[in-house]
Amino acid sequence: MDAASRPAVVIDNGTGYTKVGYAGNVEPSFVLPTVAAINESFLNQSDGKNTGNYLAQYNAGIMADLDFFIGDEALSLYRSSGIYSLSYPIQHSKVTNWDTMEKFWQQCIYNYLSCDPEDHYFLLTESPSSSPEDREYMGEIMFETFDVPGLYIAVQPVLAISAGCSTDKPQMTGVVVDIGDGATHVVPVVDGYVIGSSIKSFPVSGNDVTQFVSQLLRERGELIPPEDSLEIARKVKEMYCYTSSDIVKEYKKHDKKPDKYIKQWSGVKPMTGVPFSFDIGYERFLGPEVFFHPEIYMDDYDTSLSDVIDMCVQSAPIDTRRGLYKNVVLSGGSTMFKGFQKRLQTNLKKTVDDRLAASNARLGADVKSNPVEVNVVSHPVQRFAVWFGGSVVGSLPEFYESCHTKEDYDEYGASICRTSPIFKGMY
Amino acid sequence: MGKEKHYFSITKEMCPHQSKTMEGGASKAIIDQSLPADCLARSRKAWRRSKKQMVYHSSFVDEEGITKACGCPLLPLKTHIKGPAPASDPDKIDIVDEAITFFRANVFFRNFDIKSSADKLLIYLTFYINVALKRLEGCRTLAVGTKAIINLGLEKVPVPGEPGFPFPGLFALPQSQNDAELFRNYLRQIREETSGRLLSCAYRPNGTPNKWWLAFAKRKFMNIVVL
Repeated sequence: MDAASRPAVVIDNGTGYTKVGYAGNVEPSFVLPTVAAINESFLNQSDGKNTGNYLAQYNAGIMADLDFFIGDEALSLYRSSGIYSLSYPIQHSKVTNWDTMEKFWQQCIYNYLSCDPEDHYFLLTESPSSSPEDREYMGEIMFETFDVPGLYIAVQPVLAISAGCSTDKPQMTGVVVDIGDGATHVVPVVDGYVIGSSIKSFPVSGNDVTQFVSQLLRERGELIPPEDSLEIARKVKEMYCYTSSDIVKEYKKHDKKPDKYIKQWSGVKPMTGVPFSFDIGYERFLGPEVFFHPEIYMDDYDTSLSDVIDMCVQSAPIDTRRGLYKNVVLSGGSTMFKGFQKRLQTNLKKTVDDRLAASNARLGADVKSNPVEVNVVSHPVQRFAVWFGGSVVGSLPEFYESCHTKEDYDEYGASICRTSPIFKGMY
Repeated sequence: MGKEKHYFSITKEMCPHQSKTMEGGASKAIIDQSLPADCLARSRKAWRRSKKQMVYHSSFVDEEGITKACGCPLLPLKTHIKGPAPASDPDKIDIVDEAITFFRANVFFRNFDIKSSADKLLIYLTFYINVALKRLEGCRTLAVGTKAIINLGLEKVPVPGEPGFPFPGLFALPQSQNDAELFRNYLRQIREETSGRLLSCAYRPNGTPNKWWLAFAKRKFMNIVVL
């Protein structure tokens, strides 16, 4: 049975969530939080015990390896029983704990997808800021532990742009604004190749918005059980937050019609089972405002997201800039706020127009530059744009040829994975 | 006082050859063509940096015929309280209305570019509203709150140059003793007027505190610790 005749497995590992599924599907089969709950109690028993109990210790060691859960099960088990500890293998879009990552993939493949890794080609994703060593570890784990026939490590922003490919017109040039839970990157892609030197990172991401919402709720003295405050803030953010065009106008709207804008949240305390409820008001629009005015949340950073996108395009080669402005692609869960695309487009257009007007004024009336078209594109699969792009790439016939194969790995070692065809020439 | 960090003069960072058009007009970079290329590049970068803030500015940019004290125009107020401020039209908004409307937005910011001298008053009033809200934090009813605010009003009002003034460097130093006293009386009047209007926002019609306003008592405007 040829692995190339089966759909490839696409796994998009993000800081907050991992999207897992088969290539050729429109959306991932599973979306689970990137967290593992590991049973630590077995490991603690080994201090101070005699070697006389060697068999018990050996079994305990094996049990510890097998006794772990990932995703939502991990979170609920962590809450209900005290013997599990949570481990987040990916921080700020980089893998920090490879052991946990391996366990995570193990459960994904065997428990969730229930497939045999030897029968499918794999497509994994990595952030644009990852190092060649990360790619090498990824390759090593996949080929050694799981025996996959072929592996392709894709860069997330390029997949996000290919997500837009199958919708209307093929457009492999654009700026990808990928706002995830742990990190935000602004990456210019020209003809499918990332311009590595122009990648800009933005210190605000989905997690920061959650923290800010939780801070605002706390300042107002809303009664929220402290052990759940981040979880609740995250749900509030996902359900009720939206992007406004102007903060003062939003305040006025809230004041005039409180019934329309102020929402109620009711829940049950997990520990005691007592129901509680609280109001949600200003954080609805102040949360996403952090992207446009980061200094309301953090101390030393005050460039807005539209300015960062502008700086990124300006640092790209001059002949690519018009194409980049024309196709600013949003991807990632934190771009799903209502009104986000419109606000970003307005701000970015204003920056570009102001600069053009200043330059026109300087040059006088005879030379008039063509207006630059600024387009911020949002599309229906924005939330899983990277996964969807992976699914598209994984179903192309050329995909199987461009993977790193097991034969190459056996021959040359893990270093074959270091080179990424996108960053070729850089390392 | 506590640790003070203020960054309101972003315009200071711009190239020194820029014309100081701070009074009564937008102080955006005016790039002179006759300058050498690297100066142009620097000024272009500074222009880009100074565009950071879209903070809410005062609309009182025109300062014709208004008395000034400490370099600040004594803008008209709609008030019954006695003091040096000229009377304002009861239908128009005055600087206190602006300060209260913009407070919930401006309190989050730390950098301001000052488009006119009225903006300086706006910053001072935003800080004062923050102080007043902090005093109102423990007060459960309108009566207790009013008492706390009256106590705040009886405290000494510092003017620029004196050690208690929260923003050294924002306003010009007073020219003379009369100038200082005039400004002190104006500040006292505007503070009392702001407190009065703030109480109507911070407390609901039935006298209980309005948590949507009192939440901002916990905010530290410009990181200045309020005692």
